[in-house]
Amino acid sequence: MDLSRRTFVKATAVALASAAATGTLSTLVGCAQPSTNATDSATSQVSGTTTTVGVCRFCGCGCGVLVESKDGRLVSVTGDPDNGSNLGLNCIKGYYLGKILYGEDRLTTPLIRDDSSTKGTTEGLREATWDEALDLVAENLKSTWKNDKSRLAFWGSGQQPIVEGYCTSKFWKAGLLSNNIDPNARLCMASAVVGFMNVFQTDEPAGCYHDIDETDVFVTWGANMAEAHPILYSRVEARKLADPDVRHYDLSTLYTRTSANADKVLIFNPGSDLAIANAIANYLVENELYDKDFVADHLQFKQGTENIGNSFEDGYDASDIGSKVDAVEPITFEQYAERLKPYTFEYASEISGVPAKDIQELAEVFAEPDTKILSLWTMGVNQHNRGTWMNHNIYNIHLLTGKIAQPGNGPFSLTGQPTACGTAREVGTFSHRLPADLLVAQEPHRRYTEAIWNLPEGYLDDIQKPGYHTVKMFREMSNGNLDFLWSAHNNWAVSMPNLTRFLGKGDKTGIMDAFIVVSEVYPTLSTQYANVVLPAAMWVEREGQFGNGERRTAVFEKAVDPPGDAKWDLWMLMEVAKRVLDGETIGGNDAFDTLFGEWYDKDAADFKGTPREVSRAIWEEYRTFSNPDLNEKAAAINKENKLKMEAKQLAPYDEYIDNHGLTWPVREVNGTWLPTLWRFSDGNQEDGFDEYGVEQYGDHGKANGVSFYKSADKKPSVVFRPYEPPAEMPDGDYPFYLCTGRLLEHWHTGSMTRRVEELDRALPEALLDINPADCEKLGIQDGDMVTVTSRYGQFNIKASTAGRTSPPEGVVFAPFFAEETLVNLAVHEIYCPLSKEPDFKKTCVNITKA
Amino acid sequence: MLYGERGGVLKFGGVIAGCAALAVVADGIFRVSTAEAAPLRPPGYQGESDFLSLCIKCGKCMESCPYLALRPAPAQYGAAVGTPILNVREQACRLCEDFPCVNACPTHALRDVEQRSDVNMGKAVIDEDLCISFKGMRCEVCYRACPLIDTAITIDFRHREGDGIHAIFAPQISDEDCVGCGLCVERCVVSDPTVAIRIEPA
Repeated sequence: MDLSRRTFVKATAVALASAAATGTLSTLVGCAQPSTNATDSATSQVSGTTTTVGVCRFCGCGCGVLVESKDGRLVSVTGDPDNGSNLGLNCIKGYYLGKILYGEDRLTTPLIRDDSSTKGTTEGLREATWDEALDLVAENLKSTWKNDKSRLAFWGSGQQPIVEGYCTSKFWKAGLLSNNIDPNARLCMASAVVGFMNVFQTDEPAGCYHDIDETDVFVTWGANMAEAHPILYSRVEARKLADPDVRHYDLSTLYTRTSANADKVLIFNPGSDLAIANAIANYLVENELYDKDFVADHLQFKQGTENIGNSFEDGYDASDIGSKVDAVEPITFEQYAERLKPYTFEYASEISGVPAKDIQELAEVFAEPDTKILSLWTMGVNQHNRGTWMNHNIYNIHLLTGKIAQPGNGPFSLTGQPTACGTAREVGTFSHRLPADLLVAQEPHRRYTEAIWNLPEGYLDDIQKPGYHTVKMFREMSNGNLDFLWSAHNNWAVSMPNLTRFLGKGDKTGIMDAFIVVSEVYPTLSTQYANVVLPAAMWVEREGQFGNGERRTAVFEKAVDPPGDAKWDLWMLMEVAKRVLDGETIGGNDAFDTLFGEWYDKDAADFKGTPREVSRAIWEEYRTFSNPDLNEKAAAINKENKLKMEAKQLAPYDEYIDNHGLTWPVREVNGTWLPTLWRFSDGNQEDGFDEYGVEQYGDHGKANGVSFYKSADKKPSVVFRPYEPPAEMPDGDYPFYLCTGRLLEHWHTGSMTRRVEELDRALPEALLDINPADCEKLGIQDGDMVTVTSRYGQFNIKASTAGRTSPPEGVVFAPFFAEETLVNLAVHEIYCPLSKEPDFKKTCVNITKA
Repeated sequence: MLYGERGGVLKFGGVIAGCAALAVVADGIFRVSTAEAAPLRPPGYQGESDFLSLCIKCGKCMESCPYLALRPAPAQYGAAVGTPILNVREQACRLCEDFPCVNACPTHALRDVEQRSDVNMGKAVIDEDLCISFKGMRCEVCYRACPLIDTAITIDFRHREGDGIHAIFAPQISDEDCVGCGLCVERCVVSDPTVAIRIEPA
């Protein structure tokens, strides 16, 4: 590491001195404190101040932080100079991270709503004891469960720490035998996940953040990284500064802060990225500019079901076409080439509005054999009515050119939540998943899970059919088909699409009748619809674990106690599980004790140990999934069914604390646990390559030194995916595309960042960015209040032509962080038919002066 | 309003607010006591002596401002008491496209503004010692808030000393293009000991 802790402290000394001069040394903001020696391991204490190691609460960058506390309060949260990714830096949200705990309206006592008709208002909740609240939750869950378990659901999150997600999944899948559990990651990452699974048969990127430092060309696809991944984007800019020959192509439907410093910006018509990517692939194939050795060694070709329509109807998934969307068939390379042929630059230009020569220029860059290219993408690709297909089409280009899984070269799917990877994806809190990439529908996967969870063989056969995915869950609730919903670590009443329907503002009022439990830290719009609110410990008020976008698992240590009667989510879960499973058995043994008895004493209503010991115990069970040798039965199933579970190998718990995080697979080499930076890439483990994975399951000596050992036949799939248009196209009634997204100052629904006065000051309101020419046509001026109306609903918002985001004519942009604006009242819930992830980027709207 | 007016730590929040208030007062006193220093005036302002000779303190510009950004100068401004001034930390000028304040002025103390680039209220100045963007944090709130983004404020990407993998995103003010509306000052996250950006009145 270039920057020593001492240098860093010196660099920030001015700010510290200024703060000290005014007597406000401890303002909780991000300047490293010189008085501590905390470096590479756990808690340290200096003069009454305790320093613990943490990881930022917000986005998928996963920046390390040091947390100082004294007398039960945080006194500072600063960037961790020893974290190899952020080197002590933060974005403005991370800089003020410590303040999120101290908003004045923290929830500190359980709340109960006695009269459901008060839902949707700020009234109607009264204080209650934990016993009363937990009894009420458990009674409703148990009666629903006994009556009809299709009518209960849990909605979790990519913010739920790993061991909490693991236990929730275990309770839902093994305790209640229900697959009605899904995370909010469905709204942001599902298309990426299905893309990974279809192409590689294993989730998450081969590369890592180091690729940014080594690449020659950045291609951002529908990603405003400058705002949504601030510290990673600092790495992008540092790379450009380090080598003036480094190029950056930005592909977007609107001009963003990322576009502002790209070398070339390709603004395309919404949805037409599919055609642009195919035109690039076509050029490579037609002109034989692909990597022939790589194709021969590593790839298989397929095509899938096409003309798949859109999920306008609630019954789409079960419809004739909806049930066939996952089907693929093998094709030859020549057939693939034939399918690509219509995608000339001219055709792609016609669909996309991007000049043919610009598409050609990008295609020619991909054709340069020795140029390292890093594609980066997030919501623009994933929140797409063909999101899975667009993930495929990016992989197709990188696979054809062999630009993957080597330093500086790769298709890199970024994440937006701190543990979308660690929990939602790796633990598998989805309606179709079991831990570690396993699927409920696969018999060997259920057997393997039963072995680790100590369940009788066949016990999980009851859940072989996936449950409700997120949109289905809320559609069913609005239809009156859900009696019980528990949500935690999310704010669905702001983040879900089509809130006009889901909040019961139209003719579907199921939300008023469902019994809704919300675990929360602050009052939100979601708590306004809760029958019971459970006050939760926040961030470092308990110990937790996050897994970020580069497969890095990190622990944040507990620093302070939660306020008032707020409790660890895991305790709430145990107490509800204990009540619901009372009198139930699994294989003749007490059900609760079978699942959770190792770390929870139900009679004492407490954990069997400290938060550290409990986290470690749960982690050790969870990590058995990726270390089959820890369980004899699991090891046999792994071997017999060639599950290759070691592909995601995780280290013992304390390794993550000692090392400030590690990227999986983590391999034990001579007693030391070493991370992997480049999966599937042959080379020394010490240098970050996947030596042991390739050795165990792959082949040496293949093209570009990689071996995709987890893929079927060790060959990732290039699947031809055509251009199909957006679910809605602008017309006379709804002439604009509404695109929603994120801005730097606030995170997600703003429930944390808007309570930090500096961040609220920095961005106090949501604005509708609109092209000045459209303003002129509509007779509106910058600053005017306008009404945005879709076929689904409407909201009012102030128009802006300032240019922070500059949409082309016919497109408008609004962020979703502001509950008082609530843009999702108008956003449709049409989802990618494969991933079931909604398209938040292309709802057709009209705009009138309010 | 759900969101805390005081998101931070109670114990220190008051101190910060106190310091900010002190700074504002100190700023005002400084200006009054310095002969050549002028307060921040509305769009269309053409210099202090011109303005004071024409302004009749009718308050029409203040009434016309949809953002209530214009306030009467308090007593310590002496003879200028009652003339329109801005405290942009509290409420910046939003550069309305039709400039109601200029149009409302009956004596043309405010005049000659047809477009935003005609405005010259002052120039923003960044205190690089206080600005956290200059320390490598990804802030640049002033830049993204600027109504003349990429013109009046741009970003200069710089190497970060001793750190090969991060850049400094340094906001730069264009003296030529900045009109002094003060939205950057209103939005700046730094307040301790003072705001990291200020407007030098024209």
